[in-house]
This record gives sequence, structure tokens and C-alpha cells, in this order.
Amino acid sequence: MILSIEDLSILSQERTIVDSVSLAVREGEFMALVGQSGSGKSLLSQAIGQLLPPNLRASGRVLFEGSNLLERKPKEMRALRGRDISYIFQDYQGAFTPFRSIGGHFDEYQKVHGEKSAAIRKKRAAEALESVGLSPELLRRYPFQLSGGQLQRASIATSLMLSPRLLIADEATTALDSMSAHRVMELLARKQAETGCAILFITHDWRHVRRYANRLSVMKEGRIVESGGKHRILDHPQHEYTRQLIEAAPVLSNELKSGLKEVGAE
Amino acid sequence: MRSTVNDRGDRSSPSVPFDPVSLLNPSTNSSSDRQVVLHVEQLARTYAGAEHPAINDISFTLNRGECLGLVGESGCGKSTLARCLLRIEDVDHGSIQLDGQDIARLDGRRLRPHRRKIQIVFQNPSAALNPKLTIGASLIDPYEQLGRDAKLAHFTYTSKEAYIRQLLEAVELPSELANRYPHELSGGQRQRVTIARAIGIEPDVVVLDEPTASLDVISQGAVLQLLTDLRTSLGLSYLFISHDLAAVHRMSQRIIVMQSGKIVDRFDADALFAEERHPYTKELISIF
Repeated sequence: MILSIEDLSILSQERTIVDSVSLAVREGEFMALVGQSGSGKSLLSQAIGQLLPPNLRASGRVLFEGSNLLERKPKEMRALRGRDISYIFQDYQGAFTPFRSIGGHFDEYQKVHGEKSAAIRKKRAAEALESVGLSPELLRRYPFQLSGGQLQRASIATSLMLSPRLLIADEATTALDSMSAHRVMELLARKQAETGCAILFITHDWRHVRRYANRLSVMKEGRIVESGGKHRILDHPQHEYTRQLIEAAPVLSNELKSGLKEVGAE
Repeated sequence: MRSTVNDRGDRSSPSVPFDPVSLLNPSTNSSSDRQVVLHVEQLARTYAGAEHPAINDISFTLNRGECLGLVGESGCGKSTLARCLLRIEDVDHGSIQLDGQDIARLDGRRLRPHRRKIQIVFQNPSAALNPKLTIGASLIDPYEQLGRDAKLAHFTYTSKEAYIRQLLEAVELPSELANRYPHELSGGQRQRVTIARAIGIEPDVVVLDEPTASLDVISQGAVLQLLTDLRTSLGLSYLFISHDLAAVHRMSQRIIVMQSGKIVDRFDADALFAEERHPYTKELISIF
């Protein structure tokens, strides 16, 4: 168990937005968190790294390798984010500073995490870009000169550069078209196989859940309504809401929802 | 929902001929009496300073009552094509026969009478609605601009309020929303409003440009179902543009596939999995 969320609630002045959620991510697994917009899944992911906006408060426990992250000091969290836990966000535009080159981002990322040699930083940045199938020439470019898919690959490259043990991907493919999303997902799966990091993947796209997830949790209005193995949930959802979510998504084939062949089918 | 709109349409306009036969199976190629509502030929558009045309040699037909799907990834020219058809983008070459009239070269006053006949629903409903207008005011606007002289078959205009109420009912929204502002509605509700606005003046062709891309999965399913219900009950014709092959397959009778500004494949929806599909279509299928 690399991450264990116990009884996590997220509260604003007026109301409880996330209500006593418990969730675990195992070593090296692909864990999906599925829900509609407004279900609280993004806030949940932000609470893990102490990234909640200042008007929200988290209670409960977020155990990462045994210690409660909610009690850590901001300074400790800054060191931990990026090195042990890193994020990929939906808004790839917002993930980059518009007036700084791609290379500048890679350089700063390593500098704040203590890499003093400029030569090593430069070499690592080029390797990181190549590892996501982008040319090191892009280091000189600015964010607006890259396509959405290229930017999201570059942000994956930064997130994985320091070999984190947990990667949190919050709707990482939602803003991309289905071909670019597919390439980004294939890349994530390949990088996971190479590095062995665990992935908490937040999405409402069943296609990716079906293809890549090991286990999943379904969230509705701040609560987890159902958790379990992918095949069990996709083919035999217990909760009415899970069934609705699955039914709402158009699929192309007449196979079972999980992609398994029906017993007795050819 | 289907029956209520039909009932209303039939009651209010007994004189309008309604031809159910043309709706029965628009994708059948053998049927000789099918009606072509949109015929595009060799359409091309190159943006100033661009090396390659955004769209090139685009030809297709859309039959009355049919949903024609158009699939392709970002940058393939789908939205440029949509904008050319609406004539909100210039056309360099080719023709756009809309209800028998080529509108590709018409401008200003001569184009205006044809504007009602083709309407569009955009991807982002928040940007498509004027934040300073109430929902009711947004819905009445196309009628006042373009619909006054049109003979409407399904919706009847007796008063502003009654007309707005009919439109909201058609897209399954409560009539109270007429006095609200866009920011008070959810994304799914806003998209229903833009759909109501597009169909309220009963265009011959509705271009749906990624109408569900900015909605979450539950709203997506509901909006797709609504669009299909409206097509059958009002006899609308759709060009449904999306990068989501699963949604296109669910919605359409025929499908065309675009890549780098050109149509590379076209087929009946039933033949999506056929062996003769273009390699690019097969690649698209493989990712779903």
C-alpha cells in the first residue's frame, strides 16, 4: 500500500464537499477514480499533496508510505511534491508559464529539487523529452508553439523526471482529442511499466479505465459509492449510479464493458 | 418527448406536408426518392500564410432527415469545414448547394435569406451564449433576426413567451429557465439552450460541432439522446462532427472520415468494421 486515504473529508465554510472518503493505492498499480464533474474527485486529488485552495480544509488521514501527509509542513510538502508524488493536470496550458521556454521549465524543476550542475540538468531535460517521444529541439520553444498533445507529453516528462513513486493524473486526457489522448495514455502505461510508479488516474472516460486500470473507485457527490477490480465493476456494477455512468458512455464494440469476451462467445 | 412535439407540430400546422417515408431509412442507397438537402462539391479553403490547405477537395451529400457523421482528430479541418458551410469562413473553391441553391459565393443581403436554413451548435456552450442576455432573450433572437418570414412546421409563434416555452420544452428544460442567465445554468443545460436556439427556426441542416466535448459523461449521453429524438421528431438533418468515433457511430447513418484536410473514407455506419476500411479508420477504431 503506497497511499492510504482514511476518512478524508474536505470542508468549506458552508458545507462538506468530500465526505469521509477512504481509498487505497497499491504499489505499482493503475488505480482509477471515476465520477462526474463536481463529484469532488479533483479536490480529493489536490488534498493528497496539500494543494487545496486556502478556503478549503481537509480532515482525516492521507498516509503516504506510512506517514500522514495532512500533518506535514508546507516546506516538507514542497520537497515531496515532484520528488515522491507528482501531478499531471487537465489544463496543460496552465501547467506551463507562457513566457518561459520548455527547457526553462525543466531546468527550474530540477534546480528547486537540488540539482546544482547545469550540465546534468540540461542532459536530463533532453533525455526526459526524448523519453516521451519529443525532440530535444523543443526545449528552446515556448508553450504556445506546441500542440496540446505535445504539451501534455512535456508535462508528463517533467512529472516523471525525478522518478516519483506515485503519479496523480487529474483528467490528464480530457482536453485532448481521442487520438492524442490515446498516444498520451500509451505513453503513461509504458512509463509506468518502466518505472514501476503507482498511478492514481482521475477520469470520466471509461475507455481509459477499461484499457489501463487495475482497480477503480466510483465517486458521487463527495462519497465513494463503489470500489473494486475493473472487470467486476465494469461487467457487474453493484451500485445503480455506477451502472448509469457505464451506460451513458458510448462504446464501439459488442463485447462486455470491460473488454472481456462473453463466456460462450466465439 | 417525441410524441408531444410531433403532436404539437401536427396540430399547429396541418397544411405542411410531412413525408415520413424519407425519414424511414435515409441511409439506404437504393432508395431513389431520397431528398438531398446539402450537396457540397470540391470545397477548399487555405488560410492566409498557411503552407497547406485547411480543407481540400471536400465533397459529400446530406439527405433530409439523416445524421451524417464526420470524424477526425484535432487539426484535420473539421471545424474549418463547419465554418465554411455556415459561411462564417470564406470559401476559396467549390460549391455548397443548400436546399438547391449554391451559397458558396453569396454575400451580404443575398446570403441573408439562406442563413436560416443552416444553423450550428458549437462545442463550448458557455462561449456560445451572450452572458448579458437571459435564456429567453437568447432563444428569441434567431427568430427575430431570421425566422419572421419563415413558415415554421413544428413550432408556432403566437407570442414571445409561448414560443420560448415550446423551445425549452422541446429540449426538456423547465420553462422557468427563460428568465435566468447563462451562468445560472449547468454546462448540460446551457448546451440544451444552444440546441434549442439552433432548431427553433427549423433549419434544413444543423451542424453539430463537437456538441458534447465539453460535457461530462452523463450529460453527454443525455444530450446525444436528445439530439436523436429531435432529429426523428422534427425531421432534422445533422452533420455531426466529433473526434469520438463511438459517439459518431451511435448517432449516424453514414460516416465520413477526415485526415489532414481531406476525406479519406466514407461508408454506411453498419460497415464500420468492414475489411475494406481505410487504414486510418482502422487506427481510429483500434483506440476505442
